Amino acid sequence: MLILLKGGRLIDPLNARDEIADLWIEDGRIVAPPQGRQPDQTHDVAGKIVMAGAIDIHSHIAGGNVNTARLLLPELHRTARPGELSLATAKWSTFETGNIYAAMGFTTVVEPAVAPHQALQAHLELSDIPIIDKATLTVLGNDDFLLSLLRDGEGPAAIADYVAATLAASNGLGLKCINAGGATAFKYNARTFGLDDVVPFYDVASRKILEALQRAIQDLKVPHPLHVHCNNLGVPGNVSTAIATIEAARGLPLHLAHLQFYGYGDEGDHGFSSAAAALAAAVNAAPNVSVDVGQVMFQQTVTISSDVLRQFNGVSSAKPRKSVIYDGDANGGGIVPYLYRESDFVNAVQWACGLELFLLINDPWRVFFTTDHPNGAPFTAYPDVFALLMSREARAEAAARVPQDALAHSTLPSIAREYNLNEIAIMTRAAPAKLFGFKDRGHLGEGGIADVAVYSPDKDIAKMFRAAHLVFKDGDLVVRDGRVAHYRWGKALKVNPGYDKAIDRRLAGYYERHFGVSHNMFAVPEHILPHSDPFQEVACAQ
Amino acid sequence: MVEARIDGKSASIEAAAERSAEILSRARLPVIAGLGTDIAGARGAILLAERLRGAYDHMQSDKIFTNLDVNRQAGLMCTTPNEARHRADVLVFIGKDLTRIWPQLVERLAPGEIPMFDLPHEPRKIVWIAPGRSAAELKGIAVETLDSSDLHATLGALRARVADKPITAAKGAKRKIDEVAEILKKARFGVAIWGEELLDRLAIEMLHGLILDLNKSTRFSGLPLGADANSTGVTQASGWMTGVPMRTSFGRGYPEHDTWRFDANRMIESGEADAALWISAYGQKAPDWKKQVPLVALVPPQTRFFQEPQVLVEVGCPGIDHDGAEFSRELGTIVARKASHPSDAPSVAAIINRIAQQIGGDA
Repeated sequence: MLILLKGGRLIDPLNARDEIADLWIEDGRIVAPPQGRQPDQTHDVAGKIVMAGAIDIHSHIAGGNVNTARLLLPELHRTARPGELSLATAKWSTFETGNIYAAMGFTTVVEPAVAPHQALQAHLELSDIPIIDKATLTVLGNDDFLLSLLRDGEGPAAIADYVAATLAASNGLGLKCINAGGATAFKYNARTFGLDDVVPFYDVASRKILEALQRAIQDLKVPHPLHVHCNNLGVPGNVSTAIATIEAARGLPLHLAHLQFYGYGDEGDHGFSSAAAALAAAVNAAPNVSVDVGQVMFQQTVTISSDVLRQFNGVSSAKPRKSVIYDGDANGGGIVPYLYRESDFVNAVQWACGLELFLLINDPWRVFFTTDHPNGAPFTAYPDVFALLMSREARAEAAARVPQDALAHSTLPSIAREYNLNEIAIMTRAAPAKLFGFKDRGHLGEGGIADVAVYSPDKDIAKMFRAAHLVFKDGDLVVRDGRVAHYRWGKALKVNPGYDKAIDRRLAGYYERHFGVSHNMFAVPEHILPHSDPFQEVACAQ
Repeated sequence: MVEARIDGKSASIEAAAERSAEILSRARLPVIAGLGTDIAGARGAILLAERLRGAYDHMQSDKIFTNLDVNRQAGLMCTTPNEARHRADVLVFIGKDLTRIWPQLVERLAPGEIPMFDLPHEPRKIVWIAPGRSAAELKGIAVETLDSSDLHATLGALRARVADKPITAAKGAKRKIDEVAEILKKARFGVAIWGEELLDRLAIEMLHGLILDLNKSTRFSGLPLGADANSTGVTQASGWMTGVPMRTSFGRGYPEHDTWRFDANRMIESGEADAALWISAYGQKAPDWKKQVPLVALVPPQTRFFQEPQVLVEVGCPGIDHDGAEFSRELGTIVARKASHPSDAPSVAAIINRIAQQIGGDA
């Protein structure tokens, strides 16, 4: 079927386009204007904004820890109305997740923390998220096998082979490292763990784990650089940890996740302040580093993290007062419900810090749009975050409601910058495609898959982004005026870096010894997943 | 040869699916019960329940909710069997029923082994609270036993002594409690292991409090053993699909969870549910309802029923007759099991798909 989107404003930063033009779609792909052919379907989108489908680079939408949070907190997500499509309104279900993302014009979402031993559950959950494509980042850095390799002084080749074998078994798109060594140190009763602290039993410093994994990803030519959750998340004064981690990257590619949670100084009466300006300056000066923000918004949420040490330290601030702390085979995780309050000094500093990072980091190709769903706020708050970024006035209104002393050490009130639609498109489409090595999405060029979001411009920016006018997934019109018309089932994107298969034999022996089972027990066989052909490979560089 | 029966007489799968669809879609409030099946079967059953506007429950729900109710009231600290095996310098077994619940307990947790991740690398200490005769199963291993006629009192006393608070007890009993409290406090990474039959909600909540208290100064975690018939896997699948565990109904067109209202046994016996789909792929288990309702059963061959079901389809066992994803107690995660003896016996998911196809657009 030949589809024409007629006369919209195409915003396509990867192809340096921002103009009124037609867009043609055929067989799920974007095509050149066909000569002398009539479209089978025409959509008049004059006056509308046409962008590629958005890509969320960091959102906890699946896996054991997310599901534990669902089961822990039934009172936070009671379903109250029937939907037209299967389980569409079941609150916080995988089905609802796909519906809401699609309605906002998101067509690819990356789940950033999948433990290798829970990869099958994560992919089963992702298979039940309709419409969108998905991907996972596999977590290493607290696992005995890696830490033993480092302790025993094995070379980079063995580590790269191990990383590649783990990515292959877990079907990951990239590698994540969460408080490198910190979860293991916690098992030896450490209560704090910094970049130069040493993991007991292994005598390996956190910094060394980070460098080894960063190097492995580089050697394997995996497009996405190592995705790092630093040490000391949420701790006053932790801006020094973030800056030290940027320095530890030694000019090599590194992605720092939810940077807002590391943007804290220890100034003022509360010993807690926004250090976003210094942190943004450090990011601006390090072109090898990309970051996402992890914006906080004022509402009830739940924090879900494989940084089990940090989560344990947060248990006393749980609201409602209950938490799950899970000492897993490697990272494990912690589930701590949390209420961000507008009237709370600390929460207001966090809110301001996130916005400052968005606005003070100059290069929209290196700062990514996240709330670290659901840690800073649920992804349903995205439209409101867009509004704050695009309107100084909206920020001033919101800032007037928070404790004013929270803004005393913040630069937020003085920042005039407003994101324009082109910058929004970079941050949510073009740059994520570059970050993950996607050639087929994030843009509106010929040959790209026809993931397209059409928005109706509105003075109410949040309204515009909450309910897209039209959304196409693979050329299939799935959303009309924010309403999902029907389901389809997307792919999970993964990499498949080559490696020396000798490591498979070592792993087989290791799993026999340590777990008394075959290493294959942790694999994700395609035929076990509910839809056929569930994966799509993203090429590694040659 | 695939076996299906309608009213006790041999029938084709096609005819059985058609009759099942009739029975279930005609019901005012059908319930899908048993639910002993792999993830694919559970997934199919939940989607079918939604189409039927029925409810679903699992045969092991009572045990699952004994833990889950405490979790969602007070929280949880837990670990994996492998961490318990390789890291725990103190293992605390609670109750006489542990090896019955998990026959591989001793083999998998290897209490006699020196834990390889423990820094001092010393033989570990084993405590067994309310052991009955089961401590004898740890042949040749020194076990500190603590008999108990009232687990609430024993766990409460232990918690008090760990927190250095006074208790009232006979001198000998108090000394014993103090000895065990001392072992717990000196643990570097202790793990408590319990089952959900002997321990009730109050005992588990007390234990959770004890574990939280211990973590103020050292590391301690828990290992609840859960129940069989993939009950933990079904709980997980229900969680991601509907947001809530089983004992959930689609009577209003959306998932409503209530552990009392949507208890399948109660729904059947009270007459609220007027038809049932019974699923038990892991064993020849039939429902023990006194009340009779139109019944469709997906069960292994030779399952005995008090009353012949209206429709019966013989299904295979996940991991034996066909590949399947299920929760693995020994690994503490969902795994894919390859069929050990592949056969033609259909999977629960395959039969449910046939039934759902018959219902088609009418649901």
